[in-house]
Amino acid sequence: MTGKTPFAQFPDRIGLTRSVRRIVYVYLAAIVVFAVGQVVHPGFARLDSIAAILTVASFVGLVAAGQTFVVLIGGIDLSVPWVLNAAAILLVTSSLGQDGRAVYALLLTLGMGAAAGLVNGVIIAYLGVPAVVVTLAMNGIMEGLTLGLSGGMTCDSCASYAPPFVQDAVHGNLFGIPTALILWVVVIAGVSFVLSFTTFGRKTYAIGNNAKASYLAGVNVRLVTMLLYALSGFFAALAGILLVGFGGQASLGMGDPYLFQSIAAVVIGGVYVLGGRGHYLGTAAGAVTLVALVSVLMAMNMPDYGRNIIYGIVILILLLLYGREEKQE
Amino acid sequence: MSEGPATASGPTAPAIEGIKLSRAFGGVQALAGASFSARRGEVHALVGENGAGKSTLIKILGGRLRADAGEVRLAGGTVELDSPDAAHRHGVWTVFQELTLLPWMTVAENLLIRREPRGAFRLIDRARMAKEADAVLAGLGIHNIDPRGLVEDLSLAQQQIVEIVRVIVQDPDILLLDEPTSSLGENEVEWLFGLIRDLSSRNKCIIFTSHRWKEITDVADRITIFRNGGELGTFTEIDENRAVTLMTGQQVDALYPERPALEAARPLLEARALNGPGVSGVSLTLRRGEILGVGGLAGHGHRELFFSLFGAAPTTGGEILVNESKVRISNPHDAIGLGIALVPEDRKTEGLILPMSVGTNLTLAILPQLSALGVIRGGHEGRAALNMVGKLKIRTPGLRNPVHQLSGGNQQKVLLARWLLADSHIVLLYDVTRGVDVATKHEIYELMTSLAREGRAVLFYSSDAEELAHLSHRVLVMREGRIAAELAAPGITAEDIVSAAVREATSIVG
Repeated sequence: MTGKTPFAQFPDRIGLTRSVRRIVYVYLAAIVVFAVGQVVHPGFARLDSIAAILTVASFVGLVAAGQTFVVLIGGIDLSVPWVLNAAAILLVTSSLGQDGRAVYALLLTLGMGAAAGLVNGVIIAYLGVPAVVVTLAMNGIMEGLTLGLSGGMTCDSCASYAPPFVQDAVHGNLFGIPTALILWVVVIAGVSFVLSFTTFGRKTYAIGNNAKASYLAGVNVRLVTMLLYALSGFFAALAGILLVGFGGQASLGMGDPYLFQSIAAVVIGGVYVLGGRGHYLGTAAGAVTLVALVSVLMAMNMPDYGRNIIYGIVILILLLLYGREEKQE
Repeated sequence: MSEGPATASGPTAPAIEGIKLSRAFGGVQALAGASFSARRGEVHALVGENGAGKSTLIKILGGRLRADAGEVRLAGGTVELDSPDAAHRHGVWTVFQELTLLPWMTVAENLLIRREPRGAFRLIDRARMAKEADAVLAGLGIHNIDPRGLVEDLSLAQQQIVEIVRVIVQDPDILLLDEPTSSLGENEVEWLFGLIRDLSSRNKCIIFTSHRWKEITDVADRITIFRNGGELGTFTEIDENRAVTLMTGQQVDALYPERPALEAARPLLEARALNGPGVSGVSLTLRRGEILGVGGLAGHGHRELFFSLFGAAPTTGGEILVNESKVRISNPHDAIGLGIALVPEDRKTEGLILPMSVGTNLTLAILPQLSALGVIRGGHEGRAALNMVGKLKIRTPGLRNPVHQLSGGNQQKVLLARWLLADSHIVLLYDVTRGVDVATKHEIYELMTSLAREGRAVLFYSSDAEELAHLSHRVLVMREGRIAAELAAPGITAEDIVSAAVREATSIVG
């Protein structure tokens, strides 16, 4: 009874076991989607096609890493689209397409993303303004700043390309695996480690489940909240860098799809939208499922509106399934 | 005198019966084939330790939970109470232990919900609503609760009273109350019992749970004792020792342990002229090895005092000294670093993180010590947590089970264990025995005295004056945010504490 419980796998039972089951569901869903794709469009599940889909999923997955962090404490980051967009433009304008300036531009861009997130976090944590309001405002501010400073993308440096170094890195591959994908795997490993095995991860779950009790147990709720939003900004900027490396040039509105997709990946991945439960391993699987689904629908020549309807239905069905599971526990 | 297990019958058919009810939560069998019956015109008390199944039974009878097996009968006929609404249609109403009021609505809106008086165009007539609520409250002898005020602004005791009134106005045939008195002061308890006696004289059936033996014998006609999810019998008369023996399955000698000897030791914690919202000019000295009680009516600044000593409530003046040097405590993190611990009153919302595991809850305050470079060392953590589970005899299926699966008393022990792990020397206990069963109370008392004996200092507030009188070396009685009286052992009585507390103070009812 009390004495000999195996204790080796301490990430919290709620943090993991339930999520483990969900993550398995989501991976199964991804496999089903690929199988359906292969049926309706032979060749869909070929290795190179899978690699291409996973690469696209990695962009969503990176944004969703930050989104996972903030959703775990019951928050949300709506500033993702324009933090991402601003990052992409900042990278090209500060590097002017020169490898010599690449490191400086990369650091500047990632710093800008983290700083925007930090400002979100400070206002949410210290002034107590709801995250929806703060991050929505930040999205507007970033949009305005981006448009204003780039003169609506008419500035001289705006037409610059990403440094060749960055482009090569994103397009390159290691042992036949696309570099973007490898980076994503590293991020998955890192974020999962942080969530499962560090004090920071433990505090994140604690705050998501009960912020007041966490505070009274000595957890610095404000600091953790601030850092989580900073991480969200950082990951949005990282995704922006990869996207501009992938496409070569930056454009206005390139971040727009990533708000819906990052939240969808989090939800499909089984992270509880009110916080406290879920894991990035689930979100990552959610991103793969989502992107694979879109690809199947495109392969079937499904028009845009039809794709959106199916998107919505899939998310509703998954939430219903998760809700049922929750009740059974 | 025993009537034996309640299989019912007699000239009057039971008003309500539960026959061989079972219910499990996860792996925990909360009720295991328990039977129970109560008659019209009687006040029936359910007693037992936390986790004995009383609350589960109340929830099943009140239609809030479904039994896995067994049936509920009303006036001899089987009924399907599959929702609170279904129970209401049969005249069965429940006052639940946790408050179910809507905090951001007014008292009147809460009292008259779904029965709002309508005016022109069938719109809600707010003026009439307030007037009706006024009449309801006055009719029940309640003053000092403004029907136009928000529930959120009421004290816990006031909210509990509104909760009770909300059910009373429905004129229940069968009234279920789950620990209705745990947040009430003495006057309010008297008020409630008057109400209960009145209902029983009108041939209603009242079933309630309580951990306070005096209240049970004061008002109950019959008592049913529960242990481990089953009933052990229904009694019209039983003395406390026998009842406790039945409830716990063991003899509890003296409920209150001996006070540890107090030497002239150095002060560990001092407050000098502390001011803040709800606290005015409080000075106190807490010495090594001392148990310092704080008493008084609910809502007189105790909570604010405890929270400001722990850095969780703002202060506007005065100073705090730890180990005789002035300190700045601006948040709980600072306080914990200075060796101060707080066990708050509401373990479910302020103390524990209910969905998370027993282990996580135990180690949350000492994560830095259990980690290297921010990475938690699983083995260290497991050993530390297991050690405490053993030391405090916490009854849990395992460290990884969510803490909400534990009974109330064991949850309270998890919280105390958290601070033992943190090796806190100044332990602030805020009403930690409220709603805790006798056997666990005894264990908590033992723990308190052993803390003092080890040279730690305990500051504890309790709504139970008896407890303060028996355990404290000194008792400070607070009234309107000030220390109104200081009583020193030996010779402290509960009466002294209560009379010091109520002098000039106003009460909610009366």
